[in-house]
Amino acid sequence: MAGEAGHGGPHTVEFHDVTVAYGRRPVLWNIDLAIDAPGLFAIIGPNGAGKSTLLKAALGLVPLAGGTVRFFGQPLAEVRGRIGYVPQRETVDWDFPVSVMDVVLMGTYPRLGWFRRPGPGERECARACLGRVGLSDVAERQIGRLSGGQQQRVFLARALAQQADVYFLDEPLAGVDARSQEQIFRVLSELRAEGRLVVVVHHDLRTAAEWFDGVALVDMRLVASGPTASVLTGDNLRRTYAGPLDVLDEIGLAVEQARRTR
Amino acid sequence: MEPTPFEWSPMHGWAIATAAMVSAGCAVVGTLLVVRRMSLLGDAISHAVLPGIAVAVLAGGRPGGPLVLLGAVAAALVTVGLTQVLRSGGGLAEDSSAGVVFTTLFAAGVVLITAAASRIDLDPSCVLYGILELVPFDTVRVAGFDLPRAFVTAALVFAAILLGCVLTWKEQLFAAFDGEAARAAGMPVTATTIGLLAATALATVASFEAVGAILVVAMLVVPAATAELLSRRLHRMMLLAVLIAVACAAIGYLAAWHWNTSAAGMIAVVLGAAYVLAAVAAPQDGLVARLAARAALGWRVTAEDCLASLWREEEAVRHGAASGGFGGWRLRQRAALARMSWAGKVLWTADGWRLTDSGRTEAETVVRSHRLWEAWLGHHVKLPLDHLHPPAEWIEHHLGADVRARIEAEVGGRDTDPHGRLIPPEQTP
Amino acid sequence: MTIPYNTLVVAAGVAAVGFAAGVVGSLGVLRKRALAGDAAAHATLAGVAAAFLVSGRRDLPVLLAGGLVSALLSLGGLVLIRRFTKTRDDAATAIVLGVSFGIGIALLSGITARGIPGGGGLEQFLLGHTAALTAADAALLAGISLAALAAVWLGLKEATLVAFDPAFAAASGWPVPLIDYCLVALVAVMVVVGLPAAGAVLVTALVVIPPVAARLWTDRVGAMLLLSGCIGLIAALAGVAASGLVPRLATGPMIVLAAAAIFLVSLLFAPRRGWLARRLGPRIPLTFE
Repeated sequence: MAGEAGHGGPHTVEFHDVTVAYGRRPVLWNIDLAIDAPGLFAIIGPNGAGKSTLLKAALGLVPLAGGTVRFFGQPLAEVRGRIGYVPQRETVDWDFPVSVMDVVLMGTYPRLGWFRRPGPGERECARACLGRVGLSDVAERQIGRLSGGQQQRVFLARALAQQADVYFLDEPLAGVDARSQEQIFRVLSELRAEGRLVVVVHHDLRTAAEWFDGVALVDMRLVASGPTASVLTGDNLRRTYAGPLDVLDEIGLAVEQARRTR
Repeated sequence: MEPTPFEWSPMHGWAIATAAMVSAGCAVVGTLLVVRRMSLLGDAISHAVLPGIAVAVLAGGRPGGPLVLLGAVAAALVTVGLTQVLRSGGGLAEDSSAGVVFTTLFAAGVVLITAAASRIDLDPSCVLYGILELVPFDTVRVAGFDLPRAFVTAALVFAAILLGCVLTWKEQLFAAFDGEAARAAGMPVTATTIGLLAATALATVASFEAVGAILVVAMLVVPAATAELLSRRLHRMMLLAVLIAVACAAIGYLAAWHWNTSAAGMIAVVLGAAYVLAAVAAPQDGLVARLAARAALGWRVTAEDCLASLWREEEAVRHGAASGGFGGWRLRQRAALARMSWAGKVLWTADGWRLTDSGRTEAETVVRSHRLWEAWLGHHVKLPLDHLHPPAEWIEHHLGADVRARIEAEVGGRDTDPHGRLIPPEQTP
Repeated sequence: MTIPYNTLVVAAGVAAVGFAAGVVGSLGVLRKRALAGDAAAHATLAGVAAAFLVSGRRDLPVLLAGGLVSALLSLGGLVLIRRFTKTRDDAATAIVLGVSFGIGIALLSGITARGIPGGGGLEQFLLGHTAALTAADAALLAGISLAALAAVWLGLKEATLVAFDPAFAAASGWPVPLIDYCLVALVAVMVVVGLPAAGAVLVTALVVIPPVAARLWTDRVGAMLLLSGCIGLIAALAGVAASGLVPRLATGPMIVLAAAAIFLVSLLFAPRRGWLARRLGPRIPLTFE
């Protein structure tokens, strides 16, 4: 499913020789990765390995220092409406005065365009998405008054409301209770069954082996990618989690120093 | 509109001396505020001391006297306390809660002053921007001399601030660098913070008559921020801040005299000009310096690329290809080649550019970096062969000798890159 | 007691300003840019003085136009500092605030010292003085305020989205920096419009205190904006009333104290989030960390 170029037609998501820098220091080196729909695909690696950065680079939130990312063979700008994003929970101010329904409606905003308000159609869609994640009864609650698992499901409902073909989720199951995890995973499987691609930055190796069709092991560079069973070998895991790659760090530092001029 | 002719009198000297003393004290305190990212609190305290001063004067304190200083410090602590209460108790963000507190306190101070105008000799506009020009006329007798009261207050405050700074230097340094670690190491971070805030209040009060409330902010932050652009060591930064502050105070006063306007305003303007000057012209961090360094990097990369191309051409010829006669040089590369020929690295011959011995040594170092990096990528990352060249193209300029040695060790001391080409050995210059 | 027509119009104008400032300020507070307006506010003085010097006229539209230019320039200066130097944000705001205010004071003081006719009244822009407003002035202020409210109404969905989750907004394709600039520019406009009422030094309170007070009463954005507007309106009217009763008193401080009083009441008595409610009722944490 991943990286097989022989199936004809452009890949759903293709990273080609992607290098990403945080500030001026490169943190991801020459990533070559192709993923196809339908599927449930995990990106795994140690902390600070650049997994979230890879996601953000794909979505244009962080500039690329080299290489390209293509969706269905096209650049991001042309197909934004088909890409959905669920960021990490920590990035949001949960004290913000919005209700669960308000947040889910935000998933419909790109369809509305500038200045138009969500109408009954959008509200219907939002209610349906809330139903799918099991949050119909808290629709009017302010988001700060939810548990961690419920908050994650609100984000998921918002992504569902986007009605996208490809979904990127950043650590959606971290810090979430087991029941919510199962519920979330069930929704992700439904998305795969509908023919969509779901790419997840995941933190847990054990559940990765159970739940995901394909996996990419990332530690500042791509160690291996492909079907889960063949990638999660002892050798690959050792190379991924072996510890900081000193050489890359040093070179990154040297480049940063040289580029301090910017 | 005639500029006022410069007729010197001792009064001007005292005014400048007072301004200099005041700004020196603010610069010392301001350095610590800036470094500890507490400029916002400096802004807040400089506004919020007003009611403290007003209450103290109403209670019978002399302007600049101990009661007023006490009132100011009390107001500062109340400000910080209230800000914290609003944050934890009201769930406000830090800048919102500071904004609520200091505007309210300042408003209360203005109302107090206006309402009790008959009993307080403080004019609201003086409060806002001071009357430095009149400062020398209000004197006290000290050790047989008639000194301006504001100068005496400023000198005492400066001495106190300096003393406090010297005594707590280690603690301030550590707390500024990493507050969490300092606390964990048992340093009295909270105490140093309170001390810093009290010092800010004192510096503000001492500056009141000279430059008023709002412009104290400029005196606190701008010299320190300017010094930060010029130095990375805290003690040097503080010294520079004081020098900048004193110089700008003097220049600002003279400029205000020349153009017949508020001394406080002109001092702030001159401080701003100093900051802009530093931002542009600072040796390492200034705009000009950074643009120059970027240009220099670009030249180095171009020059190294030319050397590497010439070397690869030599290699191709060694392996039997006909001499290509590389004619495809772009303008920038031609300029780089001209510079290098002047430096003795390349030679212009009838067949085109050729490497000299020293040029060849340098070229081999660049090609070595390139091919070592390709070998490393091939070993660790398993990229397809055609993906190896572009990353190596730009990394080759940034690898130093020790990193190269490390890479060589990691790829097991092989001497060919993944394309099968020879990796040149390390050159000793 | 019959209130003169002029006073009524001025009161209505200032009320509109207070309402709009509360609404616009709410968006700024939600976007965590509460004090962005402070630097702009202090910078307006230089523009007001420069406009007077350049045009020789003291009409309010001319002076406010100058104030807006210098406010926007100061915000541009902030952006430049952030982009090109290593000076951090808090210090950058203080630098822009202090230096631009210094320019303003230098110009103002120079005008006063030279005795240029008409220049004496400029001091009122420091702390606010509504008693000097004409009906035409008030109508202008009200007009701009209503335009600002219309802009908020139009772009409320975009502003809320960007304030709440800028990463999601950017990933969805919204031009987040553009929306941010528009929001900050709107705050600058309100700051300028609030100058005659509250003065450069204290006008920032008009865009900060009503929103934080309103937040204590409600959990919905729409209600927060509306309530914040009402609080701003009341505070502004209180200032006008005080200025009418005691002409020597600047209006700015009175407006601020009125807003602060309402804030204090909110802090104590708001249901669920107020101090009293949290003492007596179930413990609800205010933020999820």
